This record gives sequence, structure tokens and C-alpha cells, in this order.
Amino acid sequence: MLKNMIQTSRLKSPWIIHFDCGSCNGCDIEVLACLTPLYDVERFGVVNVGNPKHADVLLVTGTVNHRNKHVLKNIYDQMPNPKLVIAIGACGLSGGVFREAPNVVGGVDKVIPVDVYVPGCPAKPEAIIDAVVAGLGKLAELQKQAAI
Amino acid sequence: MLETLLFLLVVLPILGGAACLVVPSRYLRGAVIVGTCALTAAASLSLLGYGPFSGTPETVFLIPVRGLITLLDFVLLGVILFYAFSLKNRLIQLLFGFQIVALAFFEMFMAKHTAAPTFFADTLSIVMVLVISIVGSLICIYGIPYMQAHEEHLHLAKTRQPRFFLFLVGFLGAMNGLVLADDITFVYFFFEITTFCSFMLIGHDQTEIAIKNATRALLLNGVGGVAFLLGMIWANSVTGSLSIQEIIAAGPAAKGLLFAVALICLAGFTKAAQLPFQSWLLGAMVAPTPVSALLHSSTMVKAGVFLVLRFSPAFAGTFLGTAIAVCGAFTFVATAALAVSQSNAKKILAYSTISNLGLMIACAGLGTPQAITAGVLLLVFHAVSKGLLFCCVGHIEQHIHSRDIEDMRGLSVTMPRAALITIIGLVTMMMPPFGVLLSKWMAIEAAADNLFVIVMLAVGSALTVLIYARWGGNMMSAPYKAQPQKAPMPLLVGLPLMAMAGGAVLLSLAAPVLYTRLVLPLVKSAPYDVAAGTLTNPVGSFLVYPLFILLGFGFFMALRAVLKSKATVLPPYFGGANLPDSTGFKGPLGAPVPYQGGNYYLTGVFGEDKLTMWINVGAGMLLAMMMGGAL
Amino acid sequence: MTAIILGIIGILLAPVLGGLIAGLDRKVTARMQSRFGPPILQPFYDVFKLFGKEPAIVNVWQVFCAYVYVASAAISVGLLFAGGDLLLLFFVQAVGAVFLVFGALAAPSPYSQVGAHRELLQILAYEPLIILVFVGFYLATGSFKVADILAHNQPLLLQMPLLFLVLGYALTIKLRKSPFDLSTSHHGHQELVKGVLIEYSGPYLALVEVAHWYETVLVLGLCALFWHTSIFGMAILLAVTYFAEVLLDNVTARMTWRWMLGYVWGIGLAMSAVNLVWISFKGA
Repeated sequence: MLKNMIQTSRLKSPWIIHFDCGSCNGCDIEVLACLTPLYDVERFGVVNVGNPKHADVLLVTGTVNHRNKHVLKNIYDQMPNPKLVIAIGACGLSGGVFREAPNVVGGVDKVIPVDVYVPGCPAKPEAIIDAVVAGLGKLAELQKQAAI
Repeated sequence: MLETLLFLLVVLPILGGAACLVVPSRYLRGAVIVGTCALTAAASLSLLGYGPFSGTPETVFLIPVRGLITLLDFVLLGVILFYAFSLKNRLIQLLFGFQIVALAFFEMFMAKHTAAPTFFADTLSIVMVLVISIVGSLICIYGIPYMQAHEEHLHLAKTRQPRFFLFLVGFLGAMNGLVLADDITFVYFFFEITTFCSFMLIGHDQTEIAIKNATRALLLNGVGGVAFLLGMIWANSVTGSLSIQEIIAAGPAAKGLLFAVALICLAGFTKAAQLPFQSWLLGAMVAPTPVSALLHSSTMVKAGVFLVLRFSPAFAGTFLGTAIAVCGAFTFVATAALAVSQSNAKKILAYSTISNLGLMIACAGLGTPQAITAGVLLLVFHAVSKGLLFCCVGHIEQHIHSRDIEDMRGLSVTMPRAALITIIGLVTMMMPPFGVLLSKWMAIEAAADNLFVIVMLAVGSALTVLIYARWGGNMMSAPYKAQPQKAPMPLLVGLPLMAMAGGAVLLSLAAPVLYTRLVLPLVKSAPYDVAAGTLTNPVGSFLVYPLFILLGFGFFMALRAVLKSKATVLPPYFGGANLPDSTGFKGPLGAPVPYQGGNYYLTGVFGEDKLTMWINVGAGMLLAMMMGGAL
Repeated sequence: MTAIILGIIGILLAPVLGGLIAGLDRKVTARMQSRFGPPILQPFYDVFKLFGKEPAIVNVWQVFCAYVYVASAAISVGLLFAGGDLLLLFFVQAVGAVFLVFGALAAPSPYSQVGAHRELLQILAYEPLIILVFVGFYLATGSFKVADILAHNQPLLLQMPLLFLVLGYALTIKLRKSPFDLSTSHHGHQELVKGVLIEYSGPYLALVEVAHWYETVLVLGLCALFWHTSIFGMAILLAVTYFAEVLLDNVTARMTWRWMLGYVWGIGLAMSAVNLVWISFKGA
């Protein structure tokens, strides 16, 4: 029963941490918009915790470059399992318009495994919320297979 | 039997100390010390079985006791005067010169004798004897390897240990004499010996600062000696007796006696380093740590508390009692506040010792059965825990060459055993179900009717938590992924430390027994009923056994969780910019910034330079109120 | 015997109550910010989720500290329900509070260290006030025992209105509400990234959260003692007090420790002293 309750609770309490890998701030503003009264993601138990050790979902915006990839990796490593990674915006997906630049690594998935991709430049808040929901669906699927 | 016990408790340690002077090898000296301490401790335990007594031993080695003590008293004062001249301190010369003249005048022309017994022990004396003989002995034994390492560190050409142990071990006898004697001239003699021992031991290292601080200790305790002598003469002229029991029996009713008692309490205040006399105890921290543990926290300073507790029936219900309570409570809160700004562990312990002594004196001043119980229990528990903490600091200092609590970060890794014992010591100083907090609880409930005292106790106890909590946290902290090391701990250091740590825990568990056996006979009416390990009265209840079981269970589960823990060790959070080994973070331009911790010391609010003057002024005024109120 | 049963009921019931109060708190806060807010059961989801996370620590002492924290908080609530001694149960609670700080200090992490020290200052700020509130109970009813206070025949709020406000300060600090949420707060983002709690994660954070629920129940239980004569009155008093706390949390900014210590000690001690003098003289 306890396991059941934990599994249910996991889907109802995704605490997020938002990491900006050098985005133009467009996507960041959209992420923050989700937390405003208009979208109010706390309805679904989402809390923006700002600390990887308490977080379940890592939202990454912006282009990953050789400088910030260490930070991204470090933050990802500090999140206890189970965890989800959501890459947001064109830059997060592939490097976007900066992908050819010499200092750019590319998308987030070049450094850490990504569960959900949210396209857009910038991504819309609805799409970001939808991504979190999709991520939780993936988590539920994993739980069903008793992988966690 | 009685005479043998007295001999073992009072004379034997002095002889043992003297033997340290003459035995040639350090191993033999160690054996002499251990033997003396074991015998003294055993004698104190058999005194516990023997129970309260009073009696007049006539002779020791066929010499009449009274004559011997009177003679030695003048010899001692003469020796101190000699030191006063060699120190060229006019004030000390004056204080002790005055004492010789006044004592001679008193002995020749004024002293009135009665047939009262010269030695007297109720359970208060027995409690003191137990503390002195057992805790004191453990500290003396701890002193053997400590002093060896101390002298190796100083590269002394010729060992000064014989002289050190003469005073350290001999002091045990003097202290036992102080608490067992009932003839006030005897008490005065032993009181002066403790002053002298303290002076010699503070100055032991012969550095400039040591000599300066020893001089200050002698000066302030000299003031106490003068106050004691005057109080003694005054009390004798009022009551016509030299027996403390008879003086107390005359009570507050005897005209003019109250001022004599106030003078003796003033002497107690100087001995217990109460505000504004605290500076000598702070200075005394330059002495080797066994001295700080034995004289300046566990036993000698308690002589001051003992005097006030002893005389508390003589001022019960008077304004003097209330004034003493207010003075004690003020010392409690003010020194706790001063300790907040300190990072030097010995200084923190010194301030906290003064603070706890203040609480005991406040309890003695309140004088209700509940308050006296609190005072006596605090005296016992504090002696064990604080002696332990001092010894821990000494041991740690010999390893890390620092006594700063900032440098004690990471000790749980570099010196795991010492750190654990220190943490146990800290926890027993501030948390339930342990004895110090039990007594503090009693003190707060006993003081609840006195608004001045209770406000100060409330603030002071919060400050105490702050002081110890951050220290304990520092001991627990460790660098990321540091591997535990094994630090050497000599047997003679480890045994006393573990005995005191175990004693602090077990004595707390035995608090109800301690209360019924040793405290109850001291008070007029029983302040608490004991049932199922719970101390209850109409006002409150403290669940000793149940809390031990419940919190013990909590601690046990926590320990089990630690042992069974499969937790991943993650690096600390540095905003993601960790250095590769996570010992710090990458600063501007990728420059490595190593992690550094630092405590809050709130010097802007609680700094010594900000507070000391005002606190001394306040304490001086309170003291004036106390003395004036007794007139 | 009844006392023991009541104590056990308290220990079992308190986390449920505490969690519900926390859920209600989040809901009311959301409404004040014109949001819809999470479900009332959200705190339970959070805690169960945390129990299911991978255990991760920086220093092994943290495990020990988290367990001791929850144990002592539970015991103190048990003592409250069993009608025990107020001072004693408060000291038992303080064991947990100090161990929380121990655990935070054990981690070599800057945020954790600063958070721990601020937490200590918060303890320093509220502890004298709570002790003086207890002294007020004693002066008004003649006992420190909850059982005896409950037997008193009139609501204590009438005799100790200022002490109730003083307890309000302690409550605000203990509930981690603005302006006193220096060491950590319930809001997602804050200057110290969760301060004293930062290095506790997963199951250990869940334990800390449960302990916090116990503490919430404990301090609200102390508030309830001010109107113990009627269940109805008690409920109103608690509802109004808690609403005021949430409102305060939403309309004030976080202040510094220096301000907190000066303000809470200055005004708190003065108000307690006035109220204590007034009770003791009126009683005499």
C-alpha cells in the first residue's frame, strides 16, 4: 500500500528546478509564466524549488555550451532518482540558431538524457505544462513496468 | 572509621601530592597519582555508605588538629605574602598582610569557642566530596599523559611535573577539607589553600601572561579571603561560635548576623568568579587544561557555590536571599551573552561555567526546597559534563594545536572518538533527559514567582543553546567524502573521558535516586514526589525514566538508520559550479574558491568589548544592593 | 493510563492534522494571490513522494539528525496531549530543533551553514518568549502542567492577552512565516535556496517535513490553551490566529536577523513582562 501511495504521490508532486543554459530569456519568461496566477501550476503540485536536491523535474532552457555543460551535468547529478529532464525551446532541443557556433555543444541531450522535448521559440507556457504532464505519464509508465 | 575516612579524604591526597615531589621516575609518579586518586575515590564512596556524621578528630600524627591548622594557616598566609612581595604587587601584599594581622588578632583576643564538633558532613558535603574525589581523580589521571605531552610540546629541559601534581593532587585534599570542616577557621584555612593552589597552577607555565593572570587570580581571591575573614570574625562576635552549623542555627533572627553571612557569600562570589569578579577565571584558562577542568570548572569554583548553599538557611526569606538570587541570575544571563561572541573553546567553557555557577547561586538565593534541589543537582551534573568538556578540549588541542571551535570542523572525521565524546558532553550540557537540563527545568519552575529572576533565566537558557549548538555542529561537519581516520588516544586519556561521558549519562538516569538519597535529607519539605522515575509536584513533572526510554528509543532508531543507511553521498550544492572534487566552487574566471565555513559570533551585539563594561557596572550595582540590603 | 493513551493518540493524529493544516495554508495563500492553489492533500503527496526518492546525503550525521528531529517533535506532541509539563515538552521539542541545526551544520555547504546559523538565531529569539508564556500560565493557573491548565475555569486569553501576542511572535517564527522566515521558508524560491533544509533531501526531507507538522500542531496546541474552556472558542481562536499568520506571511517582507532579534526581544520581552507583572499582582 505504501508503495502504491508513493507511486500516486510521485505523479502529483513534481517539484521543478529551472536551469538556464544561456537562453535569450524568452523561454525563461515563459517558464516563469507557468507559475503566475494565470496558469497556476501549483494546482498540480508543481513547486519551483531552485535546489536540485529537492527537485524531481529539471527544466532546461537555452543552448548548451562548453562552459555551462559542467554546471548542467552537476545539477543533474545532484538530483536524487527518480528524475525527469525536460528540454525547452529550439536552443534546448538542438542548439537552435547558435548550433553552428564554435563554443556550442548543441542540445541538452548531448550532455544529459532528456525525457521530453518542448519545441518553440519561445515555447508556450501551455506547451511547457503539457511537457511536464507528458513526463509524468512517462514516469507512470515506468512505474507500471516496476522499473522504479 | 570516621577518622580513617577523614584522613584518607583530606590528608592522603596532600601526602600523595607531596610524594610526587620526591619520587624519581615519571612512571612511579604516575603510579603514586593513580594510587592516591583510587584510594581517595574509594574513601569517598565509603563515606557515601557511612552517611552524614559530625565529629572532632583530635590529632593527626599525634599533633592536635586545631593547633596544626592554626599554625599552617599562618604559614600559608606567610608564603602567599612572600609571593606577593616577589610579585611586587602592593595590593596583594596589603590584602594578605591584613589577613595575617586580623587573623592573629582574632585568634589571640576575640575568638570564642564552643564545644561544637569541628567536622560535619550532611549529604551536601557528601555530594561535594563525591564530585571532588571521583571527578577530580579522573581529571588528575587524565593529567598524567596530558602533562607529558604538554611538556614535550614546550621542550622543557627539566620537568616541572612534580610541582604540578603536588598542587593538583594536594588540592583534592584541601577541597575535601573545605567541604567537610564545620569549624569556620578550618574552612577559612582550606579556602586559602585552594586560592594558593589556583595561583600556583595558573602560573605553572611561567610565561608572562600566565604570571600576570595568576597574579590577578590571587588578587581577586585575596579580596574574597578578606571578605571571608571579616565575615567569620563578625559572625563569631555575634553568635559566639565558630561552628557553621551553630551560626546557621542562629539564623536571620540574630541581630547583625545577616551582614556577616553576606560577607561570606561575597567571598563565595569571588571564588565562583561571579560578576564582576569574572576576569580571574577567564585569565585562568592559560593554565594547562587539567587545571581548568579540575579547579576552574568542576570543583574549586564550586566551593563558592557550596558556601552560599551552606549558608542559605541563614538568609532564607530575607532580602539578602532575593538579592543573591538576582545577582546569580544576572551572572547567568550576562556571561551566557558574553560567551556568544567567543570562538575560543576554553573561553566559551569558562564563561559557561561562570554562567552555570550563577544559576546555582541564584537557586541558593531563592532558598526554597525546590530551588535548593535544583542547585545541588546542577552542581553535580555540571561538574561531570563540564569536566568532561574541558578534558576533551585539552585532548583535541594537543592534536590540532588550536582551541578555536572554528578549527574543530571536521573533527568527526579526523578524531572520531574524541569528537563523539565531546558531542556527548555537549548534548548532556543542554538537552533533556540529561541532568543539567533537569536541574535547569527545576530552577526555572522554582524561580517562576520571582519576575526579575525568571526573565533572566529564560533569556540565559536560550543563549546557552546557541553557544553549544553551533559548537556541536562544527564537530559534526566534515569535508566532502572525507574518509574517517584513526586518531591515537592514550589509555589514561581515553579512560577518564569515557568514564566521565558514561557517568554524565548514567548519573542523569539515576537522577531520581540521587534526589531521594542525597538531596531530600537537605531540605525541610520534599519538593518532589518520586514515582516510576518521574519527579512530580503540584506545579510540574519531569519524566526522567519515561523520557530516557522514549528519547533513547528515538536515538536508537536514528543510530540504526545511520548504520543501515544506503544513502548516496552527493556533493554539496554550490550553485552547480562545483570544482571537480567538490571541495569548493569555481569563482570568477574559473578560479577555484575552496569551501570555508564560519560561525556567526554576533560581535556587533554580543562582543566582549561592547558588553563587558556595562555588565560589570550592572553587576557592581547589584552587588552593592546585596551588601546594602544585608546591613 | 488515560494520559498515555491520549499521548499515543496525539502522536498518531498530529501528523494528519499538521499535514491538513499545511494543505489549507497553501490553499488560502493561493487564494490570497488570486490563484486556485493545490489540493488540500498536497502536503501528503509531497511527503510520500519524498519518501519514495533515492536517499542522498552529504554527511552521515544528517540521517541521525533527521530521525532525532522527528522523534523529539513526536514525543513533545505526545507530552502535550498527555497533559504533561509545558516546560518539559518544550525542552524536548528543542532537542529536535537543535539536531536539525546540527545536521545542517554537518554539511560543508555555504547555504546550509548560513541557514543553520539563522535557524539558531530564530531559536534564540523565540525560546525566552515561550518560556515566559509558560510562566504566565503558571502564574495564572498555579501549574505548568497542561492537565491542570485545562482544569482552570476561565479562558486564559482574558488574563494573558499580551502573552498571547507574544506567543504569536514565536508561532510566526516556528511556522517559518514572513517576516521571520530567515533560515528557510515554504515558498519555492528564497535567498538561501532553502537554507537550513538544503542538504536534507528525499526521505530525510520528508522526515523533517513530518517533524515540522508535529511542531505546527504543538505551537497551535499552545495557542489553544488560551481558550480551553470551550471547543468552539478554541476552534475560533485557532482559525483566526492561523488566518492572521497566513495574511502576515503574504503581506510582509523577509527581514534580517538583527531586526528580528531586536524586535522580538524588545517588544516581546516588554509585553511579557507587563503581562506577567499584571497577572502576579492581580493574583496576589
